[in-house]
Amino acid sequence: MLTTIEKLIFILLVAFFVGFLALRGFWGIYKIVRQGRPAPALKNIPQRMLAAVVQVGLQQTIFRSRPWLSVFHAFIFFGFSYYFLVNVTDLLEGFAPGFELVYGGRALAAAPTGLVNLFNLVADILSVLTLLGMIVFLVRRFISRDQRLRFNEGVLLNPRVQAGGVARDSLIVGGFILLHVGSRFLGQALRLAEHGAPDPFMPFASLTANLFGGLSPAALDAGIHTTWWLAIGLIVLFFPYFVVSKHIHLMVAPINLGLAKQNPRGQLDDASPPGSDIQPGAANLLDLAWPRLLDAYACIMCNRCNDVCPAHSLGSVLSPAAVEVNKRYLINQNFAALAGGSAPPLSLIEHVISPQAVWSCTTCYACVRVCPVGNEPMADIVDIRRSLLIQGDGLDSGVQTALESLSKNGNWFGQGKRARPKWSKALDIEIKDAGKEAVDYLWFVGDTASFDSRVTPLTQAFARILHHAGVDFGILGQAESNAGNDVRRMGEEGLFEQLMENNLKAFSASTFERIVTTDPHSLNTLRNEYRWNGNRRQVIHYSSLLLQLFESGRLQVTQPLSAYVATYHDPCYLGRYNGEYQAVRKLLQHLGVALHEMPRNCENSFCCGGGGHIWMGETPPGERPAENRIREAVTTLTAHAGEGKQENWLFVVSCPKDLIMFSDAVKTTANDGAIQVIDLIQLVEQATGLDKA
Amino acid sequence: MNIVVALKQIPSMADELPLNAQGSNLDFDEVDFVLNEFDEHALEQAVLVKEKSGGAVTALGVDLIEALDDVLYTALAKGADKAIKIVGDFEPGADSHTQAAWLAAVIRDLSPDLVLTGVQAANDLDGQIGPMLAAHLDLPYVGVVTGLEVAQGVAKVHKEFAGGVVADIEVDLPCVAGIQAAAKPPRYAPISKIRQIAKTAQIAEAEAAAAGPDAGVTLRRMAKPVATGRADMLAGDAKQVAAKIIDILTERGLL
Repeated sequence: MLTTIEKLIFILLVAFFVGFLALRGFWGIYKIVRQGRPAPALKNIPQRMLAAVVQVGLQQTIFRSRPWLSVFHAFIFFGFSYYFLVNVTDLLEGFAPGFELVYGGRALAAAPTGLVNLFNLVADILSVLTLLGMIVFLVRRFISRDQRLRFNEGVLLNPRVQAGGVARDSLIVGGFILLHVGSRFLGQALRLAEHGAPDPFMPFASLTANLFGGLSPAALDAGIHTTWWLAIGLIVLFFPYFVVSKHIHLMVAPINLGLAKQNPRGQLDDASPPGSDIQPGAANLLDLAWPRLLDAYACIMCNRCNDVCPAHSLGSVLSPAAVEVNKRYLINQNFAALAGGSAPPLSLIEHVISPQAVWSCTTCYACVRVCPVGNEPMADIVDIRRSLLIQGDGLDSGVQTALESLSKNGNWFGQGKRARPKWSKALDIEIKDAGKEAVDYLWFVGDTASFDSRVTPLTQAFARILHHAGVDFGILGQAESNAGNDVRRMGEEGLFEQLMENNLKAFSASTFERIVTTDPHSLNTLRNEYRWNGNRRQVIHYSSLLLQLFESGRLQVTQPLSAYVATYHDPCYLGRYNGEYQAVRKLLQHLGVALHEMPRNCENSFCCGGGGHIWMGETPPGERPAENRIREAVTTLTAHAGEGKQENWLFVVSCPKDLIMFSDAVKTTANDGAIQVIDLIQLVEQATGLDKA
Repeated sequence: MNIVVALKQIPSMADELPLNAQGSNLDFDEVDFVLNEFDEHALEQAVLVKEKSGGAVTALGVDLIEALDDVLYTALAKGADKAIKIVGDFEPGADSHTQAAWLAAVIRDLSPDLVLTGVQAANDLDGQIGPMLAAHLDLPYVGVVTGLEVAQGVAKVHKEFAGGVVADIEVDLPCVAGIQAAAKPPRYAPISKIRQIAKTAQIAEAEAAAAGPDAGVTLRRMAKPVATGRADMLAGDAKQVAAKIIDILTERGLL
């Protein structure tokens, strides 16, 4: 038990460090986050919070990547969580006369021995595991120097981050955890040494107690007091540091997960709050929506988003992690002014992310998907683009050309509106105009499938397949415009609105039951973002329709494709954004294609580098995402088929943009002839014999 | 300083150009109209001059097909201060001389210091609007301009000649310049800004004056080019293609 003086000092420390400094800091954080712009309203917050606690409790979001490190994180997490309880008993040990839990709590008359033994055993084991986890983390950062904790050359970083601020913070936090947990553990060992007997329910502490066998009772008592202060006193002193440290993630991450976006992944938040006349997008820190400010506090700076980012992982100056880290350091530097509402505008492209990085994002959603704490750096980037577009500064010439063509012609190919259905004229079958006669399926063709000469043969083939299967379908013809998915993600909200209005007008002038499209990008915005005003139609991907046609027998496999060795690339907007992984896989199985998954598949698929990004006139040097992906496919198939046996290798795609991106990448990686990029349409044609019809 | 930019809509080259039944001109019902690309540069150059030296930019054009509003809203979004459309009963194919006469009648009343327009337009390709405006307004004219600055009542004009020769010319204001390219690529006007402007901005209307003399040329017949000759693609592997080449050369007595 503590002396009276010690107790007094402790109470005063708690009052000042926790009751004043830390609380003032937390209140400041609350005030800063509240200054962010409104975000879409959230529903069922208590249930969401509870779900987040369960998610964190099971460490689900952490195990999305880096499994081994996640195990060590789990050690620290469970240790720390359990220490909430442990610390309560430590306080009692300090303040309640005679309170002690060693040996099943025999010092206490009414102690439930079994329960106390269990408590001691878990505490003993978790203390050791926490120390182990922490040591692994420190070794990884400071001794083996994991490169994933670094940023690429040229990434805009806050000067304090540049000067090693994150490492310093990590060292302080790591040191705190080692001292806190280590001292508590040693304190228990000292108690056992004082009593001179091991406790079978505290095996590690008992083992350690042997080290103190020779110490005098006075020395043991001094040791118990010192370790108590290092364990419990330290927390009190450490509390205000949470306000500036990334370690606050342990409090904010569950809150951030509980308050995470509830709209579909494929639905961007509005450019400015509905009904307001605030400038769209974000130029300065406080133009960001409040969840983006909270993100900065949830971020633990683990850089898992960098690993999966098609830009950063291939050496670009874009780092989604740096967006969060820079925001946090910017807030820390201006904390008092921001909390007091007197901060000057803090430019995002000056302090948080460079314009070059802003335009390097392919909006593939991998960073958001992988983030263990529910951050959305991609949302910051889109909002910054929206603001840059309104200012009209530094727009890439290729993007500008595409946007101008989209506003004039409704497509980014620089071709006239009238040329859109040209592909259908060369067909020997008549395609219905959904504006003139009622159809079951409205086929939303999209730009690439309408205009790109490498894709139009497949567009025609898909028409023949639908015709063969007796599907009642039609197109909008000239009345179709680009759906606007990529336009919106490039930040051109006004043009997106215009394209959406054009298409909605064409939809209401047509009669159809549902929409089918081969383009995942169109699918995403039609399904998740269009304002259907009560007239919502089901939007399905052609993979689902084809599967359905086979399952219902309207299409028959006459020539199983068993000679192929194939892998499949999940398109971002079909997979990660819309959760559709199985239709294609079932379809391939149906066609008899042997599928071998790449390491990065389904939710963890790796972006082809396309989207609106393919409009960019300037692309950074070095390996392109599609090339990286083709190499992954070749490695996968080599592992399966064996070296030098490149026969009938297929790289299956289900997106017109993928066909183009990967066909190019096959050539530029000198894999021409080794692996063939092939669309589902071509496979279905072969399996049904329609290619020879 | 009072800067005036004359804009003109022409059939979009993005589409195929269908001819009318008589084969006398395009079928104007079946083409989309867009702003002449050189006029986009003229507008950009006007806004650049305004941003550097002050003044106001007035964008105007003949509303040939009742679709000029969007062009003018875009001009306002890019930095023009005022927009005027000339209205009347027009033929969509009105020639450059006639359009210049309508434009000049309105521009004269604006007492401009500087009149900019595209050096030419893809539809008639005669480069006449600029010179004709200058003639009507009795002002000096410089064409094929690729950069322009204004200082102390003088326009300093950058012009590129064939063979890589460049010239810097000083012209007393007021003057007319035909712009080949603005000093910077035309800026992007975000659609939300254009739509915002479309809700609030006023476009002034001016009645077209009685048409003056036309170009003096009459379009008699318009036709698609007739393909003469075609390329034969040689298929096969390198050896087969080489053999075919030898055959062809031998056949023509070249080997």
